[in-house]
Amino acid sequence: MALMPKRVKHRKSQRGRIRGDATRGNRVVFGEFGLQAEQPGWLPAATIEAGRIAAQQYLRTEGRLFVRVFPHKSITSIPLETRMGKGKGEPEYWAAVVKPGTILYEIAGVTEEAARVCLARLAHKMPVRVRFVKRRSM
Amino acid sequence: MSDSLECVARTSTGSRESRRLRRQGMVPAILYGHGEACVPLAAPREAVAAAVRHGSRIVELKGAVKTSALVREMQWDTFGVEPIHVDFVRVSASDRVHVKVPIDLKGECPGQRAGGIVSLVLHEIAIECTADAIPDKLHAMVGHLEVGGAIKVHDLELPKGAKLLVDADEVVVSCTKPIEKAAEAAAATAEPEVIGRKAAEEGEKAEAGE
Repeated sequence: MALMPKRVKHRKSQRGRIRGDATRGNRVVFGEFGLQAEQPGWLPAATIEAGRIAAQQYLRTEGRLFVRVFPHKSITSIPLETRMGKGKGEPEYWAAVVKPGTILYEIAGVTEEAARVCLARLAHKMPVRVRFVKRRSM
Repeated sequence: MSDSLECVARTSTGSRESRRLRRQGMVPAILYGHGEACVPLAAPREAVAAAVRHGSRIVELKGAVKTSALVREMQWDTFGVEPIHVDFVRVSASDRVHVKVPIDLKGECPGQRAGGIVSLVLHEIAIECTADAIPDKLHAMVGHLEVGGAIKVHDLELPKGAKLLVDADEVVVSCTKPIEKAAEAAAATAEPEVIGRKAAEEGEKAEAGE
Protein backbone atom coordinates (compact mmCIF):
# COMPACT_ATOMS: atom_id res chain seq x y z
CA MET A 1 0.00 0.00 0.00
CA ALA A 2 1.30 3.41 -0.91
CA LEU A 3 2.54 5.65 1.88
CA MET A 4 0.49 8.61 3.12
CA PRO A 5 0.35 10.67 6.33
CA LYS A 6 -1.95 9.47 9.11
CA ARG A 7 -3.05 12.94 10.17
CA VAL A 8 -2.70 16.26 8.40
CA LYS A 9 -3.47 19.83 9.32
CA HIS A 10 -4.77 20.70 5.84
CA ARG A 11 -6.00 18.36 3.10
CA LYS A 12 -4.66 20.45 0.24
CA SER A 13 -1.40 22.31 -0.20
CA GLN A 14 -0.12 24.90 -2.63
CA ARG A 15 2.23 23.63 -5.32
CA GLY A 16 5.25 25.64 -4.25
CA ARG A 17 8.67 25.85 -5.92
CA ILE A 18 11.61 23.57 -5.30
CA ARG A 19 14.50 25.94 -4.80
CA GLY A 20 18.08 25.13 -3.83
CA ASP A 21 19.78 21.89 -2.91
CA ALA A 22 19.15 19.52 -0.03
CA THR A 23 21.08 20.52 3.07
CA ARG A 24 19.57 17.74 5.16
CA GLY A 25 19.01 14.11 4.28
CA ASN A 26 21.86 14.28 1.77
CA ARG A 27 24.24 11.74 3.37
CA VAL A 28 24.09 7.95 3.56
CA VAL A 29 23.30 7.37 7.23
CA PHE A 30 21.64 3.99 7.81
CA GLY A 31 23.15 1.75 5.15
CA GLU A 32 26.38 1.52 3.18
CA PHE A 33 25.11 2.53 -0.26
CA GLY A 34 22.42 4.90 -1.40
CA LEU A 35 20.55 6.47 -4.29
CA GLN A 36 20.87 10.25 -4.45
CA ALA A 37 18.61 12.56 -6.46
CA GLU A 38 20.38 14.92 -8.85
CA GLN A 39 17.30 16.87 -9.89
CA PRO A 40 14.39 18.45 -8.05
CA GLY A 41 10.94 16.92 -8.35
CA TRP A 42 7.94 15.30 -6.76
CA LEU A 43 8.18 11.59 -5.96
CA PRO A 44 4.66 10.11 -5.85
CA ALA A 45 3.86 7.58 -3.12
CA ALA A 46 3.15 4.93 -5.76
CA THR A 47 6.61 5.47 -7.25
CA ILE A 48 8.27 5.19 -3.83
CA GLU A 49 6.41 1.92 -3.31
CA ALA A 50 7.29 0.66 -6.80
CA GLY A 51 10.96 1.32 -6.08
CA ARG A 52 10.73 -0.45 -2.74
CA ILE A 53 9.13 -3.52 -4.34
CA ALA A 54 11.69 -3.60 -7.17
CA ALA A 55 14.52 -3.52 -4.63
CA GLN A 56 12.93 -6.09 -2.31
CA GLN A 57 12.35 -8.49 -5.18
CA TYR A 58 16.02 -8.32 -6.03
CA LEU A 59 17.28 -8.47 -2.46
CA ARG A 60 14.78 -11.13 -1.31
CA THR A 61 15.81 -11.91 2.27
CA GLU A 62 19.37 -10.60 1.96
CA GLY A 63 20.34 -7.15 3.11
CA ARG A 64 18.14 -4.30 4.23
CA LEU A 65 16.49 -1.46 2.37
CA PHE A 66 15.83 1.94 3.91
CA VAL A 67 13.36 4.34 2.31
CA ARG A 68 14.56 7.85 3.19
CA VAL A 69 11.69 9.90 1.75
CA PHE A 70 8.03 10.19 2.80
CA PRO A 71 5.14 11.66 0.79
CA HIS A 72 3.98 14.56 2.96
CA LYS A 73 2.49 16.68 0.17
CA SER A 74 -0.99 16.14 -1.25
CA ILE A 75 -1.30 16.75 -4.98
CA THR A 76 -4.71 17.82 -6.26
CA SER A 77 -6.18 17.67 -9.73
CA ILE A 78 -9.45 18.63 -11.37
CA PRO A 79 -11.40 16.18 -13.59
CA LEU A 80 -11.16 16.41 -17.38
CA GLU A 81 -13.66 18.58 -19.26
CA THR A 82 -14.42 20.65 -16.19
CA ARG A 83 -15.32 24.31 -16.61
CA MET A 84 -13.06 26.96 -15.17
CA GLY A 85 -13.53 27.96 -11.56
CA LYS A 86 -15.29 26.06 -8.78
CA GLY A 87 -12.15 26.09 -6.67
CA LYS A 88 -9.20 23.81 -6.16
CA GLY A 89 -9.42 20.14 -7.17
CA GLU A 90 -9.54 17.16 -4.89
CA PRO A 91 -6.40 15.40 -3.55
CA GLU A 92 -5.34 12.82 -6.14
CA TYR A 93 -2.17 11.38 -4.63
CA TRP A 94 0.61 12.08 -2.13
CA ALA A 95 4.18 12.95 -3.08
CA ALA A 96 7.56 13.59 -1.48
CA VAL A 97 9.26 16.85 -2.38
CA VAL A 98 12.78 15.98 -3.52
CA LYS A 99 15.61 18.47 -3.73
CA PRO A 100 18.90 17.78 -5.56
CA GLY A 101 21.13 15.85 -3.18
CA THR A 102 18.36 14.06 -1.28
CA ILE A 103 19.08 10.40 -0.51
CA LEU A 104 16.02 8.43 -1.64
CA TYR A 105 16.92 4.87 -0.68
CA GLU A 106 19.73 3.15 1.21
CA ILE A 107 20.92 -0.44 1.23
CA ALA A 108 22.87 -2.32 3.90
CA GLY A 109 24.21 -5.82 4.26
CA VAL A 110 25.03 -6.55 0.61
CA THR A 111 28.15 -6.29 -1.54
CA GLU A 112 28.77 -3.19 -3.63
CA GLU A 113 28.10 -5.10 -6.87
CA ALA A 114 24.74 -6.32 -5.59
CA ALA A 115 23.86 -2.85 -4.31
CA ARG A 116 24.72 -1.31 -7.69
CA VAL A 117 22.51 -3.78 -9.57
CA CYS A 118 19.67 -3.38 -7.09
CA LEU A 119 19.74 0.41 -7.09
CA ALA A 120 20.04 0.50 -10.89
CA ARG A 121 16.77 -1.48 -11.14
CA LEU A 122 15.24 0.97 -8.76
CA ALA A 123 16.66 4.02 -10.53
CA HIS A 124 14.71 3.17 -13.70
CA LYS A 125 11.50 3.88 -11.82
CA MET A 126 12.52 7.30 -10.51
CA PRO A 127 11.11 10.45 -12.14
CA VAL A 128 14.34 12.34 -11.37
CA ARG A 129 17.95 11.69 -12.40
CA VAL A 130 19.72 9.77 -9.63
CA ARG A 131 23.20 8.49 -8.84
CA PHE A 132 24.76 5.74 -6.77
CA VAL A 133 26.58 6.92 -3.63
CA LYS A 134 28.60 5.24 -0.91
CA ARG A 135 28.78 5.96 2.76
CA ARG A 136 31.60 8.33 3.72
CA SER A 137 33.41 7.98 7.02
CA MET A 138 35.11 11.39 7.05
CA MET B 1 49.10 6.67 6.80
CA SER B 2 50.09 10.33 6.33
CA ASP B 3 50.10 12.48 3.21
CA SER B 4 51.82 15.78 2.76
CA LEU B 5 49.72 18.78 1.88
CA GLU B 6 51.10 21.98 0.39
CA CYS B 7 49.07 24.87 1.74
CA VAL B 8 49.11 28.64 1.57
CA ALA B 9 48.11 31.16 4.22
CA ARG B 10 44.85 33.03 3.76
CA THR B 11 45.08 36.76 4.33
CA SER B 12 41.38 37.47 4.25
CA THR B 13 38.61 35.36 5.67
CA GLY B 14 34.83 35.15 5.36
CA SER B 15 32.30 33.37 3.21
CA ARG B 16 32.76 35.53 0.11
CA GLU B 17 36.53 35.11 0.16
CA SER B 18 36.08 31.37 0.72
CA ARG B 19 33.79 31.18 -2.29
CA ARG B 20 36.38 33.00 -4.40
CA LEU B 21 39.03 30.52 -3.25
CA ARG B 22 36.84 27.55 -4.16
CA ARG B 23 36.33 28.99 -7.64
CA GLN B 24 40.13 28.99 -8.00
CA GLY B 25 40.32 25.29 -7.12
CA MET B 26 41.39 25.75 -3.51
CA VAL B 27 39.78 24.49 -0.31
CA PRO B 28 39.70 26.85 2.67
CA ALA B 29 41.05 25.28 5.86
CA ILE B 30 41.86 26.23 9.41
CA LEU B 31 44.67 25.02 11.68
CA TYR B 32 44.38 25.18 15.47
CA GLY B 33 45.41 23.36 18.64
CA HIS B 34 48.32 23.05 21.08
CA GLY B 35 47.35 26.40 22.58
CA GLU B 36 48.74 28.26 19.58
CA ALA B 37 47.03 30.79 17.36
CA CYS B 38 44.54 29.72 14.68
CA VAL B 39 45.96 29.91 11.17
CA PRO B 40 43.57 30.26 8.20
CA LEU B 41 44.93 28.20 5.30
CA ALA B 42 43.99 27.10 1.81
CA ALA B 43 45.00 23.87 0.07
CA PRO B 44 44.57 22.62 -3.50
CA ARG B 45 41.33 20.68 -3.89
CA GLU B 46 42.96 17.76 -5.72
CA ALA B 47 45.53 17.33 -2.93
CA VAL B 48 42.83 17.37 -0.25
CA ALA B 49 40.71 14.91 -2.21
CA ALA B 50 43.74 12.63 -2.70
CA ALA B 51 44.51 12.68 1.03
CA VAL B 52 40.91 11.69 1.78
CA ARG B 53 41.00 8.98 -0.88
CA HIS B 54 44.11 7.51 0.72
CA GLY B 55 42.33 7.48 4.07
CA SER B 56 44.90 9.78 5.70
CA ARG B 57 43.93 11.01 9.14
CA ILE B 58 47.29 12.66 9.82
CA VAL B 59 48.72 15.03 7.20
CA GLU B 60 52.06 16.78 7.04
CA LEU B 61 51.36 20.42 6.29
CA LYS B 62 53.96 22.18 4.17
CA GLY B 63 54.27 25.65 2.72
CA ALA B 64 52.76 28.36 4.94
CA VAL B 65 53.08 26.15 8.05
CA LYS B 66 55.24 23.14 8.75
CA THR B 67 53.53 20.80 11.18
CA SER B 68 51.73 17.51 11.35
CA ALA B 69 47.99 17.82 11.78
CA LEU B 70 44.95 15.64 12.31
CA VAL B 71 41.99 16.08 9.99
CA ARG B 72 39.36 16.87 12.62
CA GLU B 73 36.43 17.67 10.37
CA MET B 74 35.61 17.94 6.70
CA GLN B 75 32.70 19.73 5.09
CA TRP B 76 31.37 18.56 1.75
CA ASP B 77 29.11 20.06 -0.87
CA THR B 78 25.47 18.97 -1.21
CA PHE B 79 26.33 15.92 -3.29
CA GLY B 80 29.27 14.90 -1.09
CA VAL B 81 31.63 15.16 -4.05
CA GLU B 82 33.84 18.18 -3.40
CA PRO B 83 35.34 19.20 -0.06
CA ILE B 84 34.42 22.77 0.88
CA HIS B 85 36.30 23.17 4.16
CA VAL B 86 38.80 21.28 6.31
CA ASP B 87 39.61 21.59 10.01
CA PHE B 88 43.16 20.64 10.99
CA VAL B 89 44.29 20.25 14.57
CA ARG B 90 47.98 20.31 15.47
CA VAL B 91 49.22 16.98 16.80
CA SER B 92 52.53 15.37 17.58
CA ALA B 93 53.04 11.63 17.17
CA SER B 94 52.72 10.88 20.90
CA ASP B 95 49.55 12.96 21.43
CA ARG B 96 46.46 11.01 22.40
CA VAL B 97 43.57 11.93 20.13
CA HIS B 98 39.87 11.12 19.94
CA VAL B 99 38.88 9.72 16.55
CA LYS B 100 35.99 7.84 14.99
CA VAL B 101 37.09 4.67 13.22
CA PRO B 102 34.87 2.82 10.73
CA ILE B 103 33.98 -0.82 11.41
CA ASP B 104 34.56 -3.49 8.80
CA LEU B 105 32.92 -6.94 8.80
CA LYS B 106 35.36 -9.78 8.30
CA GLY B 107 34.60 -13.42 7.60
CA GLU B 108 31.59 -15.29 6.32
CA CYS B 109 28.68 -15.28 8.72
CA PRO B 110 27.11 -18.73 9.31
CA GLY B 111 23.93 -17.02 10.52
CA GLN B 112 23.51 -15.37 7.12
CA ARG B 113 23.79 -18.75 5.38
CA ALA B 114 21.08 -20.01 7.73
CA GLY B 115 18.70 -17.28 6.53
CA GLY B 116 19.49 -14.52 9.03
CA ILE B 117 20.09 -10.86 8.25
CA VAL B 118 23.40 -9.38 9.35
CA SER B 119 23.01 -5.75 10.26
CA LEU B 120 25.81 -3.40 11.12
CA VAL B 121 24.28 -1.34 13.91
CA LEU B 122 27.31 0.78 14.74
CA HIS B 123 29.10 2.00 11.63
CA GLU B 124 31.80 3.96 13.46
CA ILE B 125 33.30 3.73 16.89
CA ALA B 126 34.98 6.48 18.91
CA ILE B 127 38.36 5.56 20.36
CA GLU B 128 41.26 7.33 22.02
CA CYS B 129 44.73 6.45 20.77
CA THR B 130 48.07 8.01 19.93
CA ALA B 131 48.18 10.05 16.75
CA ASP B 132 50.70 7.74 15.09
CA ALA B 133 48.61 4.62 15.74
CA ILE B 134 45.18 5.53 14.37
CA PRO B 135 43.78 2.41 12.71
CA ASP B 136 42.15 2.69 9.26
CA LYS B 137 39.38 0.28 10.30
CA LEU B 138 38.38 -1.95 13.16
CA HIS B 139 37.48 -5.48 12.13
CA ALA B 140 34.42 -7.21 13.50
CA MET B 141 34.88 -10.97 13.04
CA VAL B 142 31.53 -12.41 12.02
CA GLY B 143 32.89 -15.92 11.33
CA HIS B 144 31.09 -17.33 14.37
CA LEU B 145 27.99 -15.17 14.36
CA GLU B 146 24.84 -17.30 14.45
CA VAL B 147 21.19 -16.25 14.06
CA GLY B 148 20.13 -14.36 17.18
CA GLY B 149 23.73 -13.54 18.10
CA ALA B 150 25.48 -10.20 18.32
CA ILE B 151 28.97 -8.79 18.46
CA LYS B 152 29.38 -6.11 21.07
CA VAL B 153 31.91 -3.33 21.39
CA HIS B 154 33.97 -5.24 23.96
CA ASP B 155 34.38 -8.11 21.45
CA LEU B 156 36.31 -5.89 19.05
CA GLU B 157 40.06 -6.13 18.91
CA LEU B 158 41.55 -2.71 19.55
CA PRO B 159 45.07 -1.62 18.61
CA LYS B 160 47.61 -1.53 21.44
CA GLY B 161 47.18 1.46 23.74
CA ALA B 162 43.76 2.41 22.34
CA LYS B 163 40.86 3.12 24.69
CA LEU B 164 37.14 2.87 23.92
CA LEU B 165 35.05 6.00 24.27
CA VAL B 166 31.68 4.26 23.93
CA ASP B 167 29.72 1.87 26.10
CA ALA B 168 31.40 -1.56 25.92
CA ASP B 169 28.02 -3.33 25.92
CA GLU B 170 26.75 -1.56 22.82
CA VAL B 171 25.87 -3.87 19.91
CA VAL B 172 28.05 -3.49 16.81
CA VAL B 173 26.74 -6.26 14.55
CA SER B 174 23.67 -8.40 14.98
CA CYS B 175 22.29 -11.36 13.08
CA THR B 176 18.52 -11.62 13.25
CA LYS B 177 15.73 -13.60 11.64
CA PRO B 178 13.95 -11.70 8.87
CA ILE B 179 10.77 -10.10 10.18
CA GLU B 180 7.67 -11.47 8.53
CA LYS B 181 5.36 -8.59 7.88
CA ALA B 182 1.82 -8.97 9.13
CA ALA B 183 -0.86 -8.97 6.45
CA GLU B 184 -1.80 -5.42 5.57
CA ALA B 185 -5.08 -4.10 6.84
CA ALA B 186 -7.79 -4.85 4.31
CA ALA B 187 -9.66 -1.64 4.84
CA ALA B 188 -7.03 0.91 3.91
CA THR B 189 -7.94 4.48 4.71
CA ALA B 190 -8.41 6.51 1.56
CA GLU B 191 -7.59 9.83 3.17
CA PRO B 192 -5.71 10.92 6.26
CA GLU B 193 -7.51 12.39 9.24
CA VAL B 194 -7.60 16.19 9.17
CA ILE B 195 -6.62 17.64 12.54
CA GLY B 196 -9.43 19.66 14.09
CA ARG B 197 -11.87 19.28 11.19
CA LYS B 198 -14.57 17.40 13.11
CA ALA B 199 -14.62 19.93 15.94
CA ALA B 200 -14.94 22.83 13.48
CA GLU B 201 -17.74 21.15 11.55
CA GLU B 202 -19.65 20.47 14.72
CA GLY B 203 -19.24 24.09 15.74
CA GLU B 204 -20.64 25.26 12.38
CA LYS B 205 -23.64 22.94 12.68
CA ALA B 206 -24.41 24.23 16.15
CA GLU B 207 -24.26 27.83 14.91
CA ALA B 208 -26.56 26.98 11.98
CA GLY B 209 -29.07 25.35 14.38
CA GLU B 210 -29.29 28.51 16.45
